[in-house]
Amino acid sequence: MSINLYQTGVSGLLAAQQQLATTGNNIANVNTEGYNRQRAEQNASAGIVNGGNYIGAGTYVQDITRIYDQFSYKEQLLSQSKLGNAESLSANLSQLNDIMSFSGEAISGSIDRFYQAMNGIADNPSDLGLRNIALSQAEIIASDFNSLNANFDQLEKSTNGEIEQIVSKISQISYEIAKINDQVLQNNDLTVAGQPNDLLDKRDQLVSQLGEYTSVNTIQDANGVMTVMIGNGATLVAGITALSVSVQAGSPDPLQTQLQLNSRNGQVAINGAKLGGSLAAKIEYRDEHLLEARSEINRLAMAISETLNQAQAQGLDLDGQQGRGLFTDINSAALQASRVLASNNNSGTLSANVSISDVSLVPTNEFDIKYDGTDYIMTNMTDGSVTNLGAAGAGTYTTAFGFEFNEASGAPNTDDRFTIRPTENSASLMKVTLTDGKGIAASSAVSVNANSNNVSDGAVNIINVTDPVTARAYTEGTNAKLTVDVYESAPGTFDYRVYDAANPPPAPVLSSGSFAAGASAVIDMPPAPAPVAFQIEISGAPVGQGTLAREKFTISDAFGPGNGSNAGFIAGTQEQAILAGGRQTFSQGLAVTTADIGSKASSAELVANTAQALFTQAYNRNQSTSGVNLDEEAANMIKFQQAYQASSRIISVANTIFDTLLAAVR
Amino acid sequence: MRISTAQFYFQNSQQLTNKQSSVNEQVNYLSSGKRVLTAKDDAVAFGTLAGYKDELANIDKYQRNITQAENRNSLQDISFANAEDLMQELKQVFIQANNGTLSDADLSSLADQAGNTLSQLLDIANSKDETGGYIFAGYQTNTEPFAIQPDKSVNYQGDSGVRELQIAKNVSVATNQPGDVAFVNIPNEIGDFSANYVNNLSGFSVNNATIIDPSSYDPASNPPDYKFSFSAPNDLTVTDGNGVVVVPTAAYTAGQTIAFNGIEVQLSGNPLPGDEVDITPEQNISIFETIKSAIAWMEVGTAPADAVKHGVEYAETLSQLDQALNHMTTRRSDAGIRLQLIDSQESNHADAQLNLASGKSNIEDLDFAKAVATFEQSKVALQAAQQSFVQVKDLNLFNYI
Repeated sequence: MSINLYQTGVSGLLAAQQQLATTGNNIANVNTEGYNRQRAEQNASAGIVNGGNYIGAGTYVQDITRIYDQFSYKEQLLSQSKLGNAESLSANLSQLNDIMSFSGEAISGSIDRFYQAMNGIADNPSDLGLRNIALSQAEIIASDFNSLNANFDQLEKSTNGEIEQIVSKISQISYEIAKINDQVLQNNDLTVAGQPNDLLDKRDQLVSQLGEYTSVNTIQDANGVMTVMIGNGATLVAGITALSVSVQAGSPDPLQTQLQLNSRNGQVAINGAKLGGSLAAKIEYRDEHLLEARSEINRLAMAISETLNQAQAQGLDLDGQQGRGLFTDINSAALQASRVLASNNNSGTLSANVSISDVSLVPTNEFDIKYDGTDYIMTNMTDGSVTNLGAAGAGTYTTAFGFEFNEASGAPNTDDRFTIRPTENSASLMKVTLTDGKGIAASSAVSVNANSNNVSDGAVNIINVTDPVTARAYTEGTNAKLTVDVYESAPGTFDYRVYDAANPPPAPVLSSGSFAAGASAVIDMPPAPAPVAFQIEISGAPVGQGTLAREKFTISDAFGPGNGSNAGFIAGTQEQAILAGGRQTFSQGLAVTTADIGSKASSAELVANTAQALFTQAYNRNQSTSGVNLDEEAANMIKFQQAYQASSRIISVANTIFDTLLAAVR
Repeated sequence: MRISTAQFYFQNSQQLTNKQSSVNEQVNYLSSGKRVLTAKDDAVAFGTLAGYKDELANIDKYQRNITQAENRNSLQDISFANAEDLMQELKQVFIQANNGTLSDADLSSLADQAGNTLSQLLDIANSKDETGGYIFAGYQTNTEPFAIQPDKSVNYQGDSGVRELQIAKNVSVATNQPGDVAFVNIPNEIGDFSANYVNNLSGFSVNNATIIDPSSYDPASNPPDYKFSFSAPNDLTVTDGNGVVVVPTAAYTAGQTIAFNGIEVQLSGNPLPGDEVDITPEQNISIFETIKSAIAWMEVGTAPADAVKHGVEYAETLSQLDQALNHMTTRRSDAGIRLQLIDSQESNHADAQLNLASGKSNIEDLDFAKAVATFEQSKVALQAAQQSFVQVKDLNLFNYI
């Protein structure tokens, strides 16, 4: 009986020791990340049959288990991926928002100052100082665009760096999980109930880490070996085999890096944007938001360059020469070529380029052109709309998007693809090409003077000056006193004649015709076959007073150091709606782009806040099951300490009983 | 619900971080005084704000232009005022010259005086602005617009260029009056033609010769000059430059209107047979040309070859001088009207600016009272979180065993 009691006491003692050890372990690991609290499962030993009765034989610790709820763990894992995705996107967009807000302000400030200088020239066109100020302001615009673009480059580079780091981290985690799987398999002794709790915790923690980077799915087999899948089911860890993820240069744009999964059997490309977690956020940010912001800025740079260059070309500089481009020509060879990216898989020899024909129509979208064997098929990558450009070999293909696709040399093979970025590099290659302030074309070439005897509101305007030098020479030399006269020959019909002083009517006129009321007449000057230098537009209702008393307008050379009309015209482009199909001015366009990124950033922040709340909930649920609570452990400690003391007491009682027995027989 | 210790600390630290970032945000708003720092703060407001800023920048530009336009037009106003004074003076001299008691020497000194006036007027016409450009040269600001020739005639070398500055979205104002408009194109006092008296026995003069009906005036078939010849008894014949008769010989009644080819001519006085006058198209007479003829008239002296004709010429020159004086006044009021336009635009801009600035401020600027209250709120929340953390962290069973 007392021997039995001894055994019972010792079993209690041993069990209490194990309980205390477990409690101690819990307390020690209170701050260990990924640790799940453990519990020693205590059981009563089978009783001994004695005289028909079952007498209890003490206790034993059956198992030390971790308190683990796989459902709440999986929930936490899922929200972890979502949080990783939302937080990363929010952080990146908020950085982009800061850059855009401040650079945008700088750019609109420098645009403003440039126009101020231009406006000054309009008032005082012969002032060389003002002209030089305008030039240096133009240089500031160009350098603002260059540096914003350099910022974008930097953002793209650092995002690519982050992607590489995440990818190498994923490969490392994959390797470690496979190692733990191996250990779990080795330790797995089916005869023993216990589990390698700490290995499992470690593995779960690695999966959690992985969950930050991508979305993760896990399956555990009967042996406790875990298969890990990332994204939409690409296996990363298959039992004890670890696969690695690596980064490859993108095609056609090498900087849009792509991911691939490497196994012993070969490589498989995976779509990074669909992986979930922060990795997908980085890729989405790089390939969508950053790309779009960059295209917008490129398009703005392109529109400014083109508008100012065109305005320059309409006027004459201080030396009476046609205004040269202020900024780099948007159709320079380098820019044209850089807008087309050929896929690495192309087998044909076609080298192509893209030239811009109408800045206001150019979208910020990317286009994909595929040669299907006979035709070029162009797909708008943003909305998916498809255009058939026509059969290969035509040389130039006009599109509805303000650009032309040109075959430069070679020929395509079936299924060759080309990515078109119509605005590519416009900001980075923007330079001021005009070096001398005298070169600013402040003066207009020709002007119209209405005869003081005119009686109507009819007007003649000079439009589309393409060659101001020729235009001026034309009105000066042989065709001095170029005159337009108009009168209403029949109700609602206006007859016009264009002639010069040397050959007044009835001599044959240079050009004549008629137009209906409400319409206007546009006359090429000089008349064909000579190349057109400018056009005359007659508008309004120049009724005149009869065939002998027509409304007369004289067109004459207007060049002069004091002529600032064209500078006024250039300054006026500040208020012209040029962008987005003629709806936005430059600064409006910039503000829209900035506001767009701002709203993306603020909604990403909202999403991140929600994800954070969801994650906190899941974390709390998981922690409330598996986390260590020190108060609980303290209570347990006292409980087990008391159990230990009580068990010791049983032994001492057994000892006393035994002594009593010995004393009785002595 | 069971709370794990890690959870407890995690949540507390998260709370503290959130409260701290909120306080930090409020400090940012307070220190900048702005509600919208970047587009993220309020994307919609940011777009509107850009619109306001654009408009304000435009108004700034217009105001700069207004200052320039005002200066330029004031300068012209002053120039024309001076020219007016000079013309007034000249007119008096010329009136003084028509006095039978004056000697040749008197007339010649009056002519000298008129010559001085001419040089002074020329000086005004050739005046420069602060940048050294000629203000009456049109676009040719580097070329002296009016050059006096040895024969005292003055040539205009500028052009008709009018510089304009934008002073509102759709309003441009001219900043100069080209020299031809200012000094050359002065309407001929008698209409569209000048009279050249071949024979003037009676002292008659052309009162008015105007193209009344431009649609019938055909200089191609009946080229000028038109010759009016009077013959006995009191008949008038008008022939064109080709000698073709345009008004057949008929009796002329004094004061009647002679109409032909869309032209109407009125004569004053009673022409005598033998009187003959040519009229030649001349719509405008330069101010310098008028002064030149005034000086020439005075230089003729007290004994003209043809006293009757001389008298008629005096009357014509005097009225043309009047016309020139009026023209200076018109030009001056032209500049004045522009100044008025500028003034009214300026006050429009001032109103718009105030309006826009307050709109911009409503969107962009911080409501300090509200911001300070929010800041205090965030601060209190942070303090509460900190204090409760400090208090709760000691609630640990281990402290009691």
